[in-house]
Amino acid sequence: MNSDRYQRHSLIDWFSQEAVKASKFAIVGCGAVGNEVAKNLALLGVGYIDLYDFDSIEIHNLTRSVLFRGKDIGGFKAEVAAERIKELDPNISVSAFVGDFWEEMSLEKAASYSCIICCVDNFEARIRLNQICLITKTNLINTGIDSRFCQVEVFPFKASDCIACYECNLPNSAYERMQQRYSCGWLKKISFIEKKIPTTIVTSSLTGALAASNALEMLKEVEVAASKRILVDSFSGKSTVSIIEESCTCPGCSSLSGNVSVLKGAALIQGVFNLPSGCSDDYVITSDPILISTRCTNCNPLLESATIVFDKASKYDSSINICTQCGQESVEVVIKDSFSLSDLEKLFQGREFPCKYVTLNASNQILVIELER
Amino acid sequence: MPDIHVIIRTADQTRKAEVTLDSSNTGADIIQASVDNWTLPTDTDYSLVNTTSGKTLTPNSQLGDSGIKDGDILEVQPVLVAG
Repeated sequence: MNSDRYQRHSLIDWFSQEAVKASKFAIVGCGAVGNEVAKNLALLGVGYIDLYDFDSIEIHNLTRSVLFRGKDIGGFKAEVAAERIKELDPNISVSAFVGDFWEEMSLEKAASYSCIICCVDNFEARIRLNQICLITKTNLINTGIDSRFCQVEVFPFKASDCIACYECNLPNSAYERMQQRYSCGWLKKISFIEKKIPTTIVTSSLTGALAASNALEMLKEVEVAASKRILVDSFSGKSTVSIIEESCTCPGCSSLSGNVSVLKGAALIQGVFNLPSGCSDDYVITSDPILISTRCTNCNPLLESATIVFDKASKYDSSINICTQCGQESVEVVIKDSFSLSDLEKLFQGREFPCKYVTLNASNQILVIELER
Repeated sequence: MPDIHVIIRTADQTRKAEVTLDSSNTGADIIQASVDNWTLPTDTDYSLVNTTSGKTLTPNSQLGDSGIKDGDILEVQPVLVAG
């Protein structure tokens, strides 16, 4: 490490370049806010940055993305951002993951980060990242913007088991809005048009700065008792800092309270589903909704004639409801995310769980089994 | 159910009202009433913050159970989703 480079930082009494250099961050979403966070962390001299984004650069991204140029259009956001970060500071170890973070980021890898910074543009990805951070007790910073307001939420999961998570205060309307993207169950609508929220570099840069500042704060390992939300009005400069209240009925964290153990296991459903002793014939919850079966009610009126699919429901859209034989919208689908152990043994023996992990209760502890293929 | 007298405002502070609420009202009820009465954008989701105590209100808990007192200021904040 070239100490001259960080000479100005060394003059700050509360700034430990060694601690910053030893830190490892994941930035999920490399859009406007992700660019700003990545730029800030790079200039601060952090040791490791992993960038996650499946998307590619379009011309309209250029008004809000400090790391992208016109020549980058068509390139993958994560890869281009990683290249520019290396230009800003070659001492940083940067990796780009082009794809869905849900697939790319193992629980083990998530646990290795000092903090994960969420810069995505939808509720579902936020909820999923919140789940990963809750399970692995990894610090999470969530960001959000519009054309006026900046929001940063800090969830110090590493510090405490008893703090609010992202879903504790998520309004019911957010779940209703998410459901609008799907037809029945978890099949995506064929023609759902996502609403575009206008933003500017003003709100994304303010948010990126606040997120990086809070990420630095987390490295100091000062005892933090609560999750917090910062909302800044970029017009007036007014800000509100509030403690996020924990909800005992939270769909995100209430089922993960207590002793959580993370294990690795085979995705293959085999034998008696090798469970640790103490597990009863209880339910296994899958991390993703699973499309169990399809059946055309016209062509195959008997329930037993259903075709078993056992695949991730998110891979299918509502066109599956149209029967390929009769052409009618008469295909019934069964989607589940909860299975009894005896059902797994009887009905799905020899198949692989098509999900990231499964969760089950055993002897007063929650087992999260990350599935290996 | 006892009444609670509070001030409700939007995050940009362009809307403000002194209201008397039933302590059994939830944060979600107040948000819905604010959206309806002030014709706030319906394509945005909102969260409620007690700026007096500096704490958020969970959507489904009742005011009486959330420690809301007479004179508290409740702010309707947007839940931001773009990144």
